[in-house]
Amino acid sequence: MSELFNEVIIRPMLNGLLWLSHIFGDQYWLAIIIFTIVIRLIMTPLMLPQQRSAKKMQALQPRLKELQAKYGKDREKIAQAQMALYKEAGVSPLGGCLPTLVQFPIWIGLYQSIIHSLGNQPINLLALSQDIYTRGAQLLWSDVPLNRFFLGMDLSLTPQQMGGLTYALPVLVAFTMWLQSKMMTPPGTGDAQAQGMTQSMTTMMPLMFGFFSLSFATGLSFYFLVSNVIGIITQGFISGWSGLRFWEGLSLSRLFSGGARAGASRPADTKEVEATTAKTQRGMSSGSSTTRKKKRRRKR
Amino acid sequence: MNQTSRMFGAAAMLLLLALALSSCGAAPVSQDWPDLAVDNGLVYVVSGAPQAVYLLDAETGVQKSSFSPQIQSAGARYWSPVTAGGDLAFVGFGVQETKPPTYGLYAFDPLTGQERWHVEATGFVLGAPVFADGVVYFGDSKGMVYAIDAEKRSVKPGWPFEAGGAVWGSPLVENGKVYVASLNHHLYCLDAQTGAKLWDYEAKGALAARPTLDPSTGILYIGDFVGKMNAVDAASGQAVEGFAFQAKNWIWSEALLSGDRLYVTSLDGNLYALDPATGAVLPSYPFDGGDVLRAAPVQSGDTVFVASKEGKVTAVDGKTGVQLWQWPSGLSTTQILTTPVVVEGTLYVLQATGQMVALEADTGVQNWSFTLTAQ
Repeated sequence: MSELFNEVIIRPMLNGLLWLSHIFGDQYWLAIIIFTIVIRLIMTPLMLPQQRSAKKMQALQPRLKELQAKYGKDREKIAQAQMALYKEAGVSPLGGCLPTLVQFPIWIGLYQSIIHSLGNQPINLLALSQDIYTRGAQLLWSDVPLNRFFLGMDLSLTPQQMGGLTYALPVLVAFTMWLQSKMMTPPGTGDAQAQGMTQSMTTMMPLMFGFFSLSFATGLSFYFLVSNVIGIITQGFISGWSGLRFWEGLSLSRLFSGGARAGASRPADTKEVEATTAKTQRGMSSGSSTTRKKKRRRKR
Repeated sequence: MNQTSRMFGAAAMLLLLALALSSCGAAPVSQDWPDLAVDNGLVYVVSGAPQAVYLLDAETGVQKSSFSPQIQSAGARYWSPVTAGGDLAFVGFGVQETKPPTYGLYAFDPLTGQERWHVEATGFVLGAPVFADGVVYFGDSKGMVYAIDAEKRSVKPGWPFEAGGAVWGSPLVENGKVYVASLNHHLYCLDAQTGAKLWDYEAKGALAARPTLDPSTGILYIGDFVGKMNAVDAASGQAVEGFAFQAKNWIWSEALLSGDRLYVTSLDGNLYALDPATGAVLPSYPFDGGDVLRAAPVQSGDTVFVASKEGKVTAVDGKTGVQLWQWPSGLSTTQILTTPVVVEGTLYVLQATGQMVALEADTGVQNWSFTLTAQ
């Protein structure tokens, strides 16, 4: 199984990284940036539904709150009404998760290929020699060991090993990941449990990645950082840029409290989904719009 | 929404778990293979785990003593092969996790295992030090090449030389000159006394081996990471015209010169016998070693020995390229990346797991074995 994963995922990625590094004059950091963009482009069909779903979910929040207020503590009715609302608005609650699961092998493969290619000890290079495809290999062989340095930082070492300003990298990874999560996370629905979980994931995930970045090779953290920035830009185009004003409504107590909304702001570009929501609202309160039109005709 | 959050949470946890599992281990492990040397009736076995130099009786395999610098760190330890010189033995040693990192050359008493002195380096010392005329020469992973006066225990004036790229190979000291290769593709010729650079030769790929000198022709041979065998005039540093050889994968190890033959192992799994004048592969070669050949070929009489990554040691008739015997006869359970040593009819083999084996060079019959255990 691991052999198959190596052949199908890791080796193609590793060789892709090496070729990019070769094309860009043995600048591995540049190869990571280009490779991240390429991977994001390839994954766009998987990620767009996730991001669009996030946008629609944001637009549905006022209606969800109304349902919460209407049915009080009757969780079963709330759930039924929510599902009806999702169906009407064309939102799948699972739509945002399945793409994430599909991306897992790619993330893990990319992680492994960066680690493999950045290896600078004898065993690492020996393994690398067996992972490079033989076609055109001499061009890549001549680049080994790779130029691992970027702004004086050894991309194969961890911030803990290098110290100094390299500690800024885990902070940047955590911050950009948090910002991206915040832009993708819908505002509170009133469901305290769900909101608490979402909130804790939005906060804890970046913190954990920041923490892990302390002991990751900085090359991998560099990938996380670039990937997060691209994610932020993409999300900005889809759901607006208001999420970038992260300081609005932000306080430490809100950030770490489970049920609070941490500076979530409503995206500006939500007209389309709001229209759908309004339609759904009308439909739920007095039947479908077609039925209503018929009633109007009868009155005339 | 509730369900979504749970799914998202589970997905995130899975990712974190995968990343954590693939990056964390119980303890840091040296990313280098163990090293082996035999001198004056002693076998020096060096291993990062367990972390010591073991000194064994060459005839019986009984441990006589051990050596390890007194460093308090659980970090991975990197060693060079041991070199004996005078009444001392020298080994490179490094631990990155200490603050500041520990890098240096250590001199110890081979009889007692007691440290005599050490000098600091700037990076890991992975290539075997060379002892010549009371001076120890070695390079480190930060590209510095040192000459240490063993009596004064200090760096000689004019040294260290800055190669500009990691030095993993052992230097070659001949006729007052030091030839040292670097991963930055350069082979340097330095004045052994002053450390001044006399010339440098640039290869196509990284150079990790010690060069081999043909004293009769004055030609240096060294393989590189693009699979090319380079032939360089030791006097001028110019490439020898008319010589060309290309393997199908990297050449990592030192070439073996024997009479009119140059034996070369490659990561492509082949043992090649070349014409030293032209680089042409001689008839009945290459010999298929079965797997990656990282270790250099060694010779006893007409027999050439190769050790493969799949853990097999093969004896080959150097003239005919015919296999004479192979050890072990069944499946091997561990890799061999360390160059074996052959001394007075005994072939010493060190497996990647630290199992040391002494074989009869003529037959491949095992004389004794020794397993490294934590002290």
